[in-house]
Amino acid sequence: MAENEIMYVCKRTVVSTKPVQPGKHHPLSVLDRHMEKNHLRVVCYYKGPRGQEEAGEITKRLRESLSEVLTHFPIMTGRLIQNDKGHWMIKCNDAGVRMVEARAKGNVEDWLGSVDRGRELMLVHWEDMYYKPYFWSTFYVQVTEFEEGGLAIGLSCIHLLADPTCATMFIKAWADTTLPRKMLAPPFFDPLPPRRPGNTIPNHKPYTALIDHYNFSLHNSNPSTVAKHTTITLSFSDHMVQACMDMTQSSTATPNKPSPSPFEALAGLFWVCISKVKSLRNGLLNMSICLDARKVLGLHKAFFGNCMIYNKVHSDGLEEHKLSQAARAIGEVVAKMDSEGIMDLIEWLEQNESPISPLMNSCDLICSNLEVVDIHSSEFIEKLRPIQVSYYVESVFGIGQVLIFPAPPGEGPLGRVAMVTLPEDEVIKLCEDELLLQFSPTILMGVNRTHA
Amino acid sequence: MPPSSPNFSSSVKLKYVKLGYQYLVNHILTLTLIPIMAAVLIEVLRMGPLEILNLWRSLNFDLVQILCCSFLIIFVATVYFKSKPRTIFLVDYACFKPPNTCRVPFATFMEHSRLILKDKPKSVEFQMRILERSGLGEETCLPPAIHYIPPTPTMEAARGEAELVIFSAMDSLLEKTGLKPKDIDILIVNCSLFSPTPSLSAMVINKYKLRSNIKSFNLSGMGCSAGLISVDLARDLLQVHPNSNAVIVSTEIITPNYYQGNERAMLLPNCLFRMGGAAILLSNRTSERRRAKYRLVHVVRTHKGADDKAFRCVFEEEDKEGNVGISLQKDLMAIAGEALKSNITTIGPLVLPASEQLLFLLTLIGRKIFNPKWKPYIPDFKQAFEHFCIHAGGRAVIDELQKNLQLSAEHVEASRMTLHRFGNTSSSSLWYELSYIESKARMRRGDRVWQIAFGSGFKCNSAVWKCNRTIKSPSDGPWADCIDRYPVYIPEVVKL
Repeated sequence: MAENEIMYVCKRTVVSTKPVQPGKHHPLSVLDRHMEKNHLRVVCYYKGPRGQEEAGEITKRLRESLSEVLTHFPIMTGRLIQNDKGHWMIKCNDAGVRMVEARAKGNVEDWLGSVDRGRELMLVHWEDMYYKPYFWSTFYVQVTEFEEGGLAIGLSCIHLLADPTCATMFIKAWADTTLPRKMLAPPFFDPLPPRRPGNTIPNHKPYTALIDHYNFSLHNSNPSTVAKHTTITLSFSDHMVQACMDMTQSSTATPNKPSPSPFEALAGLFWVCISKVKSLRNGLLNMSICLDARKVLGLHKAFFGNCMIYNKVHSDGLEEHKLSQAARAIGEVVAKMDSEGIMDLIEWLEQNESPISPLMNSCDLICSNLEVVDIHSSEFIEKLRPIQVSYYVESVFGIGQVLIFPAPPGEGPLGRVAMVTLPEDEVIKLCEDELLLQFSPTILMGVNRTHA
Repeated sequence: MPPSSPNFSSSVKLKYVKLGYQYLVNHILTLTLIPIMAAVLIEVLRMGPLEILNLWRSLNFDLVQILCCSFLIIFVATVYFKSKPRTIFLVDYACFKPPNTCRVPFATFMEHSRLILKDKPKSVEFQMRILERSGLGEETCLPPAIHYIPPTPTMEAARGEAELVIFSAMDSLLEKTGLKPKDIDILIVNCSLFSPTPSLSAMVINKYKLRSNIKSFNLSGMGCSAGLISVDLARDLLQVHPNSNAVIVSTEIITPNYYQGNERAMLLPNCLFRMGGAAILLSNRTSERRRAKYRLVHVVRTHKGADDKAFRCVFEEEDKEGNVGISLQKDLMAIAGEALKSNITTIGPLVLPASEQLLFLLTLIGRKIFNPKWKPYIPDFKQAFEHFCIHAGGRAVIDELQKNLQLSAEHVEASRMTLHRFGNTSSSSLWYELSYIESKARMRRGDRVWQIAFGSGFKCNSAVWKCNRTIKSPSDGPWADCIDRYPVYIPEVVKL
């Protein structure tokens, strides 16, 4: 069974090669602190290199390069403490990250053929926060070598410190160090920039939608653990995404409107399909989208920290099952999430910080756009790109979650992969939905009907 | 400041008096010989060549007497040269530089301690207090097996560590000296706490394919002073075997000795002992005279094992739960002081200049005959040595010796900085300290070095080396990448 397939070799702490200057602290921004209750998990699969190396050789190399790359990420090796205001911050005390080494039977392709959520999560180690977080590692790395060829690298971390974009940035930096190549973009750990005084527009009407949405979430986050969630991975090829984008445009009134982005089209598609699956009579579900705001805020793309903003998409006045309207509504909300609006939100959050951080994904269906992540260029072994990647933003308590990120380059520039987390019965219904099947997604990871 | 100026001027006067006295006594032979030679020369010049010739003829030496005299002189000279002990040269040595990936910062050490000793917070507190005051830095290294949670000190891991440390040091030594493995005549390996079968020396012979008639020795159980015991053994062997090379490998293998219990007296070594090793090449070949770095002058060994308290002060035993650990008694520093005194009493007459010995003798006579209340005179060893390498056993040891021998901060800098950068690497720490002095370009031709090591038993061993040639700061070696950062200020207590 699954338990016998993975053998854990050891768990150890990996530290950076150069000591950290003592006494450094890193404060966490208000966006970071908002994500405290969630954690991220990323899994990358690689095919084995030709010319089999000895078991454990590649793990050793990865461990050494991990040590080297950690020198550039002192935040990851630090520990959480609370400052005077009771907020979390990182003390860069050079304690290191935990690394788990494991071996799996078979080879990576076979594994991918029959993987499901439960088994995939065994490839990435995670420990919930200890009672005393000062001795708790915030990042966990797992390297699993497949005995007959292949490698799986798992990274997990508390969302408080990193969002999927910077987790991917770390993996890329680690891959570059292993090769060895010069790290292309050293990370930036500066705090979120405050609003520049020169930019305040007089009589500026704040974009309250963002603030309202966060306010609502703060007061209404009550996780429901009734249904057991499961996750599936669907891959959409370049043509299919194009077809979806075309379909969303077909019945627009104004032909001059710009075509929706792949994210908007796919998010619209899932919105419509999942609403159908949940048997909603009137209109569409409550949905929020989540976008990376680095570009909008003018931050460097190597900014390390949380920079993903949630916003609600309004479903009033939309006919159910109309994909084009859904996609348009999403597009409108995306356009409205500009720099001013986000700065307003940040200021509001700083003034109205509640002592208990909410669970952002406990009320609505969340659809996250992870298109900025460039995971497919992370090569740990020369010329070997990841054959599959999975992202998890845990824990999902509410209606469900959809994460959309780019497919491997072989699928074309518009290819996308969507990881959908829903209660189990709804997932099965979703896979049989007609509208979804029109775009013939490949199921990379399905539901495992036989439970261990 | 007026009040202290009479004190100041009187202390300056005293300093000059002392200097004058030292110069007088140390060069007494020269000072008496020169006037005599001058007088003889003047007399000879006054007498003139003819008178000298007459004097010669009046002695009536005949051929037989002259021949006997010359044979006697030649005979005495031969006996003298033959019975002189062979000079032992230290050609070169190499220290193992642990990889950065094995680094153990304080935070990681404490975290592991807390995770392993979950239900023993008092022991964890104790370890933290020790670490804060230990004088170690954030770059000391532990072997990979100890980084696991929980640690996995298997025999295989221990052998792995031994191979890593010993082979790296040996490779480095062979490269530095250009020595061929087949030219090694004597091999001595000392590792106190790990003694597998076949021995570590057999492991070295196997790896480097050494000769079948090599004289190999493996010293185990002899503690942190085993490095100097190996030097002593090598010296004795090199007296017997002419034209030979001896390689000494000093190390301590940490993996099997990581104490997993929670007895306080036994947790101390966990906090201080770190990975390290050194390989040294000694030779009695005269061809090495040119390129050797040092010449061995004295080795003095003192063993206080006859005293029960000294014998039990560093003791390996099982605790109540069956975990094996090394327990250090509270009177360790007092016993170390006693052992040092013993060692100094023996080494003093060998190395101290005549001025110090005279003062010591006079004070001794004075105490015995006149007044027992006179303070015993502590000879000033700074007169005898330029450099001191005190085994970096712990901060307390270095502080104690600094006080006893009245050394300045610069004298003990090598020891303190080695403790900070590498931790207590047991028998090899003396070689890291020597490497530090060389890396700082302080070693000049003719400088004398005193290496002092303490070890379980209780032993105090010293070795005295004389520098053979001025040594340029090496471009490789364990200090190469960090020497510019040293010396660092090490606070009394590091806040963790």
